[in-house]
Amino acid sequence: MISGTLIDRVLIRKYIGQSSLLFLSCGAAMFAFAWVRVWVVSLLDMGQFQTILEQFRDFEKFAPISFDALFTYVGRVGMTYDEPIVILCTVIWCVARGSDVVSGELGRGTLEMILSQPITRKTLLLSHATVSVVGLALLCLCVWAGIGAGVYATTLEESIEQPSFRIPIINIDVPLTTDSPETQTIRLRDRVEVETYASSTFHLFAFGFFLLGLATLLSSMDRYRWRTVGTVVAIYVAQLVMFGLGKAAPTLEWLLSMSFFSCYKPQKMTSMVVSDGLAAPWSVTSIPPDCALPALFYPMILIGLGLSFYIAATIIFTRRDLPAPL
Amino acid sequence: MTPDIVVTEGLTKRYGDFTALSDCSMSVVRGEVFGLLGPNGAGKTTLIRLLLGHLQPTSGQLSIDGIDPRVDGVELRKRVAYLPGDARLPRHMKGGAVLRFFADMHPSGNLDRSLEVAEILELNTRTRVAFMSTGMRQKLALAVVFGVDTPLLILDEPTANLDPTVRGNVLNLVMDAKRVGRTVMFSSHVLSEIEDTCDRVAFLRKGKLAHRLAMKDLYQRHRITALVDQAHANMEAPETIASRIHTTIDGQSVAIVTDGDLAPMLSWVDSLALSQVRIEPLGLRAVYDAVHTGQAVAL
Repeated sequence: MISGTLIDRVLIRKYIGQSSLLFLSCGAAMFAFAWVRVWVVSLLDMGQFQTILEQFRDFEKFAPISFDALFTYVGRVGMTYDEPIVILCTVIWCVARGSDVVSGELGRGTLEMILSQPITRKTLLLSHATVSVVGLALLCLCVWAGIGAGVYATTLEESIEQPSFRIPIINIDVPLTTDSPETQTIRLRDRVEVETYASSTFHLFAFGFFLLGLATLLSSMDRYRWRTVGTVVAIYVAQLVMFGLGKAAPTLEWLLSMSFFSCYKPQKMTSMVVSDGLAAPWSVTSIPPDCALPALFYPMILIGLGLSFYIAATIIFTRRDLPAPL
Repeated sequence: MTPDIVVTEGLTKRYGDFTALSDCSMSVVRGEVFGLLGPNGAGKTTLIRLLLGHLQPTSGQLSIDGIDPRVDGVELRKRVAYLPGDARLPRHMKGGAVLRFFADMHPSGNLDRSLEVAEILELNTRTRVAFMSTGMRQKLALAVVFGVDTPLLILDEPTANLDPTVRGNVLNLVMDAKRVGRTVMFSSHVLSEIEDTCDRVAFLRKGKLAHRLAMKDLYQRHRITALVDQAHANMEAPETIASRIHTTIDGQSVAIVTDGDLAPMLSWVDSLALSQVRIEPLGLRAVYDAVHTGQAVAL
């Protein structure tokens, strides 16, 4: 009988120690950014930009969300999930942790001593994956918590609509008073519900899980971490370019179905919650407009691909020769 | 329980066209200190790494304590403490944390024992690994390995990077392990260490097991060098000892290699009218050189 456990608590403790600095840095950055981002939303009156944005309607297809959603607080707060800082921190965590598991340890020469202990290679991989995946989930929750903190801490100044009179036939509103418009202070939490972003947070997790699996797979077959990181980043950029080209040119629309970015739809989930309720993004039956599949299928595709990468990584790592330390 | 703790039969490892280890059949008896000798690239580390399951053999059989690493590597490694040739440890940890980590990882790990060994080796365990010298890291790895109470110890060049005093301490630890019944497999380039500690030695050359030697046989081998006073002197040995004597004459110089008890041969040597006679133990060096150059080895 082959002995061994699936995860090892001593290894988990080691991996937590190894990754804690990166986790704290990314977590603090994501939480603080999400909070500040919500606060910035309260500073800008998007109504002032409505005329300008209307000029760019032709480019709306490049935006991850309809322009109309940008005029709502819910939509603007939801944009946090597409902000480069949030994406960057997620990518850094996933690539750094995923690439570390085999090629990182091989490069440092520490894998030889660790695998000489009575553990299986699968145990090592799964222990590492446990820390990385839980860390990823906590980072995603940091973004959500940052949004929550921002929503609960932010107040807004809103203009009260002036009484007006509409001239029939020509349909022009004429204010009934010439006084400066009155404003009222409201709490952002009266306009935005934090639960709205649960599915967006799940999408961010699925996006990260896919990258984590990809980096782990490439790490399991390599012996140089720099090469693993380079390959993951090259694939990421290629997928991003495919996504952009697919959006830009109708003739290249087929590229969209080959890019994993097409499955990352946090803002679409936000607008679905606004229009159809909190349960809408978790549906496995109803297909939202402009989508080919039910809403939950998209993050599940990313998670499924990530899991496949992990399974492939386990098979490759358990069968390969362990190169001698360099 | 079989008398042999390590057994390999026809063990072969190939990387494409390159054969790192070819048809290696050997065994290590329980409780002995077994030396692995050979030049760089001879296949010593490949053999050790195959035994631990780090490499998949191309063909052949292998087992430690009856367990094949391909079948149950975990059970196998529960019985082995291994020091790699170039032991690297997590750089972010302090020495003490490294000892604790490995003591916790292995079911036979013992932190107190590891700390004790670290003290014997004069190692400061409060230093972070990243700031340790090569020798300090080697001491730390030795403390990890000697802290684990397993039936088999595999040490790949354990005294590399160590000063002479600590080398002596390491050899004492090896002999202590032997005294309590543990088996030690020991690879080294320092022949005197092998001579001092090992019961048996295997010589590897170009991936092949070139020679095996029991050290007790080596201790009975002597080389007598001298000058012969008269040219073409009769060097023929009496029948009773002829089979254990190998003589080489070069001009006036003569070299006699003897095998077995020296006492019955001394009267014959005395009858040869030799001058400037020198008798020395043959030593591992002579065997190593013969194996290394591909010459036939009498033993």
